[in-house]
Amino acid sequence: MSLKAPPSPAETGGGRGGRAPRPVSRRSGLARLGPLPWIAPVILLILFVVVWPVVELIRTSFLRVSSSGKVRGSAGTDKYTKLFGETDLASVLMWTVIWTVVVVVCTMLISLALAQLFNQRFPGRTVTRWALIAPWAASVLMTAIGFKWMLNQTAGVLNTLMLDLGLIDKSEDWLGRSETAWPWMMAVAVFVSLPFTTYTLLAGLQTIPGEVYEASRIDGAGTWQTYRHITLPMLRPAFLIGLVINLINVFNSFPIIYAMTKGGPGNDTSTSMVFMYTLKETDIGESAAMSVVNFVLVVVLVLIFLKVSRWNEED
Amino acid sequence: MRNRVVATGAATLVMALGLSACGGGDEGGGEGKSKTIKVVAADYGDKASNASKIFWEKVAKDFEAANSGYKVDLQIINWNDIDKSVKNMIQTDNYPDVLQTGGYADKVADDLLYKVDDVLSPATKANIVPAFAKAGEAKGAAYGIPWVSSSRVLFYNKKVFSAAGVAKPPTTWAEVADAAKKISEKKAADTPYALPLGPEEAQGETLMWEMGNGGGYTDAAGKYTLNSAPNVETFKWLQDNLVKPGLTYPNPASTDRKTAFADFAAGKVGMMNGHPSVVKMAEDGKVEYGVAKIPGRTGPLESTLGVADWTMAFKDGKADKDAVKKFLDFTYTKKNLVAFAEMYNFMPVTTDAVAEMEANPKHASLKPFFEALPTAKFYPVNDTAWDVISAEIKKSGGKAASKDEDPKAVLDDLQKKAEDAAAAE
Repeated sequence: MSLKAPPSPAETGGGRGGRAPRPVSRRSGLARLGPLPWIAPVILLILFVVVWPVVELIRTSFLRVSSSGKVRGSAGTDKYTKLFGETDLASVLMWTVIWTVVVVVCTMLISLALAQLFNQRFPGRTVTRWALIAPWAASVLMTAIGFKWMLNQTAGVLNTLMLDLGLIDKSEDWLGRSETAWPWMMAVAVFVSLPFTTYTLLAGLQTIPGEVYEASRIDGAGTWQTYRHITLPMLRPAFLIGLVINLINVFNSFPIIYAMTKGGPGNDTSTSMVFMYTLKETDIGESAAMSVVNFVLVVVLVLIFLKVSRWNEED
Repeated sequence: MRNRVVATGAATLVMALGLSACGGGDEGGGEGKSKTIKVVAADYGDKASNASKIFWEKVAKDFEAANSGYKVDLQIINWNDIDKSVKNMIQTDNYPDVLQTGGYADKVADDLLYKVDDVLSPATKANIVPAFAKAGEAKGAAYGIPWVSSSRVLFYNKKVFSAAGVAKPPTTWAEVADAAKKISEKKAADTPYALPLGPEEAQGETLMWEMGNGGGYTDAAGKYTLNSAPNVETFKWLQDNLVKPGLTYPNPASTDRKTAFADFAAGKVGMMNGHPSVVKMAEDGKVEYGVAKIPGRTGPLESTLGVADWTMAFKDGKADKDAVKKFLDFTYTKKNLVAFAEMYNFMPVTTDAVAEMEANPKHASLKPFFEALPTAKFYPVNDTAWDVISAEIKKSGGKAASKDEDPKAVLDDLQKKAEDAAAAE
């Protein structure tokens, strides 16, 4: 993947200047603007849908907004003080890290294996490749709600099954407490992240030329050696892209947790994203402050992404 | 070719600019607007056939027929979203004229509402049951107009009780624990006592138990006492006697009231606290139920929890004040209020409507609720910080009953939040 921009129209125009005679006055007027007329709509769009909301967000985090929605003036840094004084904040941040790391690591490992499998020729490969797309094609919210009902205490298929098999003697409220809710939600998050990651890695695997494997075979390399010294290093670009995009996605993941537990009981199953959303019910300003903190964290992740992709290019 | 590219670019630019200009658009209040009343109300229904929309559309049609030239602009929003939607309306200066929802006091704090005297005729105002009218006073004047009410009683499943050998409904906490134990031993019901402390209605179940121990949300002076000794004791008792022995849901803090009601209507619950809509649900589910006063620590509660929902009129709505007054006077007639209360098995809030429903043998099943109403105690609905505090209790109050939590720590944290919220007003 290359992040290099295509040459701009102004540059090409300049290089070939003089090839066809043009009215002088118009040419100089537009030329002075350079590529601006072409990119201006995009810049305006970015200002409107990206920059403006961020400015509003930061502004709101310094406001005192009453519970009925009326702005009552400036709050200074009070909302940040209140946010950092929340008893649950430390555990929410800790769980955000655990959630992100566990889900991303599991996703990458399982995807590596799946990609390897789908790279082999076997009967029914096309069908299984299609099947892998299903969790990706279905809305994440729908998937999460589906799992929520499967895990339901009274009506859930999982409890019925486990009771019938004699694995448990009393139906379990899987999503009711954090000890059991976290592993289940992590499993769902891995489930919905697999297709994208597997396909990214599969694409990477397919770019590795067959001659390299042939050469290694002639040199007498074993399967594990080939995998460690040829497949993995050559897969690095695809692997890193998959890793970083997953980090950002999983960190920002909201629908799975919100649909399955709403972050409860209390804030026991909240990540910082869900915590921000539940704060909205009691204090918009504090919720905005949490958003700013999240925003900063995402910017850090994006910077890492840019760094990684540049590093990729240099290689 | 180049011309066309420039033209396309310019057109896109104009579109983008036009798009951003739309954001600030606002309809000016023309002459005709002042006679259009924007009414926003909550949907109490749980299916298409009993949607509140049916009621409001009829009221609007009748009102428009009786008052030519006036129009009603209706917006019915479901309970989960109405507070968020109204907040958005207020933030964008797009006020409703009349709002019917769960609370009113936070709007008084921002001086958004008309006083009741401004929008109800003296006759309509005098018709409101005094206890409710009183609860509609905040900051020294009446702003909230009660809409419907309900009171809470203990429901029990007669079949489950007889199967477990429980002769009569419990009156004290010890008897609740004892009955629950018997039900559990005889396996007469999945959930002997249903304790829903999830976000849906944690503030209700909490208060019903705390009142049984002489506790509550505020002291006589109106100061918040969420972590008072009787309140902490209450949750300690719930943990030790219902939650830990497995006589209720394993995770009360994440079990919503609608789950408990549905389980009761399915015959899976031995007993629980409930409001009048359970009557209908139990009848539909063919559950033989009985009702009794809510048990307290040493004896049944003399005054139970009463809950009212509210109507209010916004000063900054686009309709003129007389139009709003006309509409509210028209809505608050006996016929309309009885129709609405009957639709959901709630209780009306005006003297003549209450009298009519009490006298009607059709509503015999509501008798215990009507009896409990005159002495009922309410949430501190007229405190301007209550809405925020209620939201905090809903979010994390239920954790005080969780197996592995310290009730005092949970309630201390809530008390701190309550004090902060009260100080911010």
